[in-house]
Amino acid sequence: MKFKADEIASVIQKEIEDFRGQIQTAEVGRVIEVGDGIARCTGLSNVMSGEMLEFPGGIRGFAFNLEENSVGVVILGDYLKIAEGDEVRSTGKLLSVPVGEALLGRMVDPLGNPLDGKGPVLTSETRPVEWLAAGVAERQPVKEPLQTGIKAIDAMTPVGRGQRELIIGDRKTGKTAIAIDTILNQKDTGVICVYVACGQRASSIAGVMEVLRANGALDYTIVVAATSSDPAPMQYIGPYAGAAMAEYFMYKGKHTLIVYDDLSKQAVAYRQLSLLMRRPPGREAFPGDVFYCHSRLLERAVKLNKELGGGSMTALPIIETLEGEVSAYIPTNVISITDGQIYLEPDLFWKGIRPAINVGVSVSRVGGNAQTKAMKKIAGSLRLDLAAFRELEAFAQLGTELDKDTQAQLDRGYRMVELLKQRQFGPLHVADQVVAIYAGTKGYFDKVPVAKVAETEAQLHEFIRTEHADMRDKLVKEAALTDEIEGMLKKALEAFVARLSAKA
Amino acid sequence: MSELRSDSRPDSVLEDPGALAVSTMYAQSYMTAAVAAGSTAPEEELNSLIDDVLAKFPEFRDLLMSDLIGRDQKLVILDRVITPQCSEFFANFLRVLIRHGRISLLPMIRSVLVKLQEQAAGKQRIRVRSARPLSGSARAKIVDHLKSTFGFEPILQETVDASLLGGVVLQVGDTVYDSSLRSRLKQLKGRLVEKAFNEIQSGRDRFSHPEGD
Repeated sequence: MKFKADEIASVIQKEIEDFRGQIQTAEVGRVIEVGDGIARCTGLSNVMSGEMLEFPGGIRGFAFNLEENSVGVVILGDYLKIAEGDEVRSTGKLLSVPVGEALLGRMVDPLGNPLDGKGPVLTSETRPVEWLAAGVAERQPVKEPLQTGIKAIDAMTPVGRGQRELIIGDRKTGKTAIAIDTILNQKDTGVICVYVACGQRASSIAGVMEVLRANGALDYTIVVAATSSDPAPMQYIGPYAGAAMAEYFMYKGKHTLIVYDDLSKQAVAYRQLSLLMRRPPGREAFPGDVFYCHSRLLERAVKLNKELGGGSMTALPIIETLEGEVSAYIPTNVISITDGQIYLEPDLFWKGIRPAINVGVSVSRVGGNAQTKAMKKIAGSLRLDLAAFRELEAFAQLGTELDKDTQAQLDRGYRMVELLKQRQFGPLHVADQVVAIYAGTKGYFDKVPVAKVAETEAQLHEFIRTEHADMRDKLVKEAALTDEIEGMLKKALEAFVARLSAKA
Repeated sequence: MSELRSDSRPDSVLEDPGALAVSTMYAQSYMTAAVAAGSTAPEEELNSLIDDVLAKFPEFRDLLMSDLIGRDQKLVILDRVITPQCSEFFANFLRVLIRHGRISLLPMIRSVLVKLQEQAAGKQRIRVRSARPLSGSARAKIVDHLKSTFGFEPILQETVDASLLGGVVLQVGDTVYDSSLRSRLKQLKGRLVEKAFNEIQSGRDRFSHPEGD
């Protein structure tokens, strides 16, 4: 097909003929000082807090401090192009970002500008970055499960749709890996995912993008990236912008999952902004409202009531601790805001227990209601059993001779720990998780050498999938371990164990 | 001090808003006190001091405004040099400024005083930017329109900015009314781009498989 130049010219001509320009009215002020990503301006006598402002050259900013004689403005863009005496215009709008289906599969900055070189984001809808969380009457309790695909989490610290579950741990303990696995596991479930990278290295974000793309997860995922080289204001608004993008889908009745990676860096960016704005510093030099900064963000994760479409936003905030110090300011704040935490430990990680979840300290305050019946039935005592095992293990290390029962309990424990290990980017369906954990707790793995548990587990999944697909389908469909299914499962496991011993 | 050295100061550089707030307070008080003291033209003495004395004797100005000279010494100098030649009311005003360490705000107080007096007389300064110098009739039209809309006597401060291309931009207080050709073209561009968005998308879709990649 050829373009018709005349047609295009006539369309443009008509547009110009019909165009009636309006007089633009705006409140203006002037920059008195600028630097480090913030500006102080005079004038702007009627500007609102949080209102979007425009500097020459289209650079945007928002009013952060309203003072007696001046307005403190946070600059979202290149502040080096702004000079003293420049005119600032108010826009009468709150800071907003583009939202909609067009963002799926894209990587954007916190203002919604594309970063992936795939052209403009074609959407006409926008949403304010700051949005008041749904009120009490607009919510309903968390009751549907959000499967992470990770055995240790789905069994012991289950996450429900609309829950806020913190992932906390030192550097290099696999925090992001858990979040990414969870996103990968949402494939074909209709859950829209938003991954907000805040203060991360650009190379790790590129790595995450590649993993999402390679696993086909980009079709339902939006990546909002504010790297550590972006100015502090961008890192500060990144999580709010991501929440706005997820809210668009949530209020349309869809289920969404948002990962904030990570909020400790956002708090640091906010501290920088506040100190530059001369707000008084408090503990660890964070401003007094750093708690509100996180609480209003995480409150936006909700399970909406039926009248509003029943959509949900599940939040997985990530916090990085220093040397396991959970009693620092930001970790305690976020722990108290969220509905539970998954605590990762470097010791476990280096022992090879990955995901390195400390089962004793990790909790989920609301997820239990959301667990499937099957999982609830088999995982009920798992946490206590593991705790008992850890105690025994410490005791056994003293070299005392053990009676037969204790030894058996220890052996079972070693195998359960092995069974809860899981490789990265390998999320398991909840039915497979139920089969594996059932087999472990009921002793079907007792004869398998500890080093071979992982291999045998893989064989078990293969065996169930190929030879007992009807049982698995039933388990998937009913999501409960009825007597009938349990009977079938027992039979299948006995057959599997028989085959194993025949091989050996 | 800022206005006295305005030759070295670019126009874009602004007054310190804190100093401006303080100057406004002094200017208001000066006006009110002048009325109470029966002085009819309080700005006369102030203008004369700045234009006839301080501007002509820069060393004296520096002496008066320097932080190196103590307040007591400044008061002594004031009493010897200026007080014999001015009214008691104005001398008192200068003494207050010296005692409070605000004598350097004198030029700013004057400029605020001028604005306050204009306001009291129902006048307001309006910044007018246009692409070419305004003709007499255009100016009269703008003044008439402003008078009927806002109800005050406008004082036009005109500047020529060729980058506007055409039309005028008025600034009343902090509010700007922009009807320049430049901003209209910008609006038109935005509208054309917005309309073209869907066209671009459909154009792009033609090159991809309808079933997806």
